[in-house]
Amino acid sequence: MDVIVCAKLAPDPEDIQVKSDGSISLENAEWVIGSFDLQAIEAAVRLAEATAGKVTVLTAGPHQVNNSKLKKDLLSRGPHALVMVVDEALASADTALTAAVLAGAIRKMGGADVALFGEGSADLYFQQTGLQVGERLGWPTLNAVSRIEPQENSLLIERNLEEEIEVLQVPLPAAISVTVDITTPRLPTMMEILKAGQKPVTVWTLADLGLEGQAAAKIATLSVRAPQQVARKRILIEDAPEEAAQTLAAYLSKEGLV
Amino acid sequence: MADNRDIWVFSEKTGLLGELIAGARGLAGHTGGSVVALVLGPREEAGEAVARGADKALWLGQPAPGVLVEDYVPTLLGLIKHLQPYALLIGATKRGQAVAGRLAARLDVTVLTDVLRFQFDGEALQAEHLIFGGGALRVDQPLAAPVLATVAAGTFEPLAVDGSRQGDITGCEFVAPEWRVTQLERKIRPPVSVDLAAARRVVCAGRGLAKREHLALIEELAQVLGAEVACSRPLAEGLDWLPRERYIGISGAHVKPELYLGVGVSGQVQHTIGMSGSRVVVAINKDAHAPIFAQADYGVVGDLYAVVPALIRAIRARKDKGSL
Repeated sequence: MDVIVCAKLAPDPEDIQVKSDGSISLENAEWVIGSFDLQAIEAAVRLAEATAGKVTVLTAGPHQVNNSKLKKDLLSRGPHALVMVVDEALASADTALTAAVLAGAIRKMGGADVALFGEGSADLYFQQTGLQVGERLGWPTLNAVSRIEPQENSLLIERNLEEEIEVLQVPLPAAISVTVDITTPRLPTMMEILKAGQKPVTVWTLADLGLEGQAAAKIATLSVRAPQQVARKRILIEDAPEEAAQTLAAYLSKEGLV
Repeated sequence: MADNRDIWVFSEKTGLLGELIAGARGLAGHTGGSVVALVLGPREEAGEAVARGADKALWLGQPAPGVLVEDYVPTLLGLIKHLQPYALLIGATKRGQAVAGRLAARLDVTVLTDVLRFQFDGEALQAEHLIFGGGALRVDQPLAAPVLATVAAGTFEPLAVDGSRQGDITGCEFVAPEWRVTQLERKIRPPVSVDLAAARRVVCAGRGLAKREHLALIEELAQVLGAEVACSRPLAEGLDWLPRERYIGISGAHVKPELYLGVGVSGQVQHTIGMSGSRVVVAINKDAHAPIFAQADYGVVGDLYAVVPALIRAIRARKDKGSL
């Protein structure tokens, strides 16, 4: 089975800085592969290995994603090739635009048997992209998938839902969004890191996909700021354990809790 | 935008549908439209949706065996295209996310996910939700119609059932989907052991705990405080020491207890976002620089293996004194 796995390259949300006025800055954040996408890449590689197929990673973003360190990082994790859609219009794309771009790229790539996605992007975590791409392609599209088993011309999958695990047989081609439980990502070996530089990379713009100028925004982001913090007392007790415990118990008592 | 100012709501979960109806009433108050509930299940549930505050119900019927909730996407799409509501609020379960995403793709709009709050700035609808792992609150204004949003359980408080409420109930025909998946099996999970969202006190174990067996210490402290046991995500999803319904975090349980006591919890924002509404926050951690201390009312810097047993003794001593 040939697999296309989509991954998002974006500023690491762990690097966000909160300015004194409460606004958020990502200026100093390092661009990384989304943490939830690593499991999807690994699942794609394993699926292709089990079925003697190929894996291509697909990503879309502004100029910062067209970076050799990031490209090597993606390619050192087992895929055969990388396709990137690079365009400044993608710097603040909503899911509808992202999904249109990824679906367009998948069509231009000639399709695949399976398109895989992580459970959500590390920075926004809307948990929507895979579902919207699959629907735009007209493929069976499912989320919360914690297990995939290839069959003759279908996939046997398990969906990890709130009250049940649903076992489904899905015809191909299919778009599957996987959970973090699906597998453990391998650590890139030295060999894979060295080979990464040799693997084919294709770069397209929105114009190459015939999508230039069709990026009418579906939403306007009015503000991004730190959530209001409840003012906390921040009383610190640094005594030896016995004394600290007594002090804490006294405070709990004053709060009406003990 | 459409002339129809109605707010539609959909969830396969009855309780969540009730919550959405309440939230939709707030929106409909501004738009001047009706609240319409899309109901999947026995016809009585359509009546219940009206009793919970819906002005009308569109009854989709009971899915036949092997038919998934998600198979109703074409039916919902047809209704939306025909009746053109202002907005559709969908309960944020995994199935709800799937329905929302697929509808958005067909309607060429996007989804406002996990909305915490809606407000109107004049005519313009605004929705707040968290991004950056809980580190930031983003306010978005939809520019395209209809507005699709997902809303998690616990965001809105359902209205009381009022059996005297009247509302039209219209049956809707199922539109067969273009593609089908075959449901081979449904492994129903055992019922959850705890509803953390309802807990009045919580003792939360973090990665400071070295071994699974040490949970016994947490359980003892919880018992002496009359608290539920919870944990941060790694102890549930990674280590599997506790079931997933016990982990507090952005993608886990959200709690609003009188007391949250974190033991060996570092206080990463993806975790604390799930407990920031607690009345009193207490933390025990050996690292004086752990971020939790900035988010706590009372913090003990010390080794949990010494502090927790001492705290259990101190609390017991006070209780014994109190009962004399």
